Amino acid sequence: MQIDSTRFGTIEIRDDAVLVFPDGLPGLPGERWALVAARDDSPFYWLHSVDHPDVAVPVTSPWLFFGDYEVRIPEDEARRLGLDDPADAYIVCVVRAAEKVADFTVNLAGPLVVNAATRTGRQILNDAGGYSVRHPLLSEVELDEVQPARAAVPVTAASG
Amino acid sequence: MLVITRKPGERIRVGDDITVTVLEVVGSTIRLGIDAPSEIPVYRDELWEAVKQENRAAADAGVDELPSAPGRTP
Repeated sequence: MQIDSTRFGTIEIRDDAVLVFPDGLPGLPGERWALVAARDDSPFYWLHSVDHPDVAVPVTSPWLFFGDYEVRIPEDEARRLGLDDPADAYIVCVVRAAEKVADFTVNLAGPLVVNAATRTGRQILNDAGGYSVRHPLLSEVELDEVQPARAAVPVTAASG
Repeated sequence: MLVITRKPGERIRVGDDITVTVLEVVGSTIRLGIDAPSEIPVYRDELWEAVKQENRAAADAGVDELPSAPGRTP
């Protein structure tokens, strides 16, 4: 299928690259999303709405920036996701970008958990306590120490 | 909207499967026990609102270029 993205123009999305969030993402429209890479050397992806061409949020793997980050998935959320094997959990956090990268923040309290086997996802409230929805992204590492993102689900390139 | 008064130990039933029990009242703090089927998520409202707000802010940040990882190892 195709997204006529307001940010990236036309993007062709393979069926197996569609992530379904049955309850959506709180505050945002639509259930179907896809990971879009604007460049291949970035620690960030865009989680792009399939059904709303102007809706996308930056996401990242929290462990690229916080080596000892912990996610505890509440049991009922794991059940809703059909997550039996923790190895199937692909986890990203929503990034709030700003003009300067030093001002970027990341939501460590409400990670997105995707069952990579079924490509179904939910935004959960992290039971491992003490995390903020607006944590400074570069509080532990410099951007130039960070590796590019790797995903456990198919990623669509924005260009080409 | 329904406004009712409850005492510790008393319950409120919402539909067939959800009960809210007032467990304890200490000063201005009320401890509630919520029993709902697992397919119905229950969240603290302020946390859920904060997540909602962050999602909207992330979608509306007005930044279309995200940085690469300049120090990546080959």
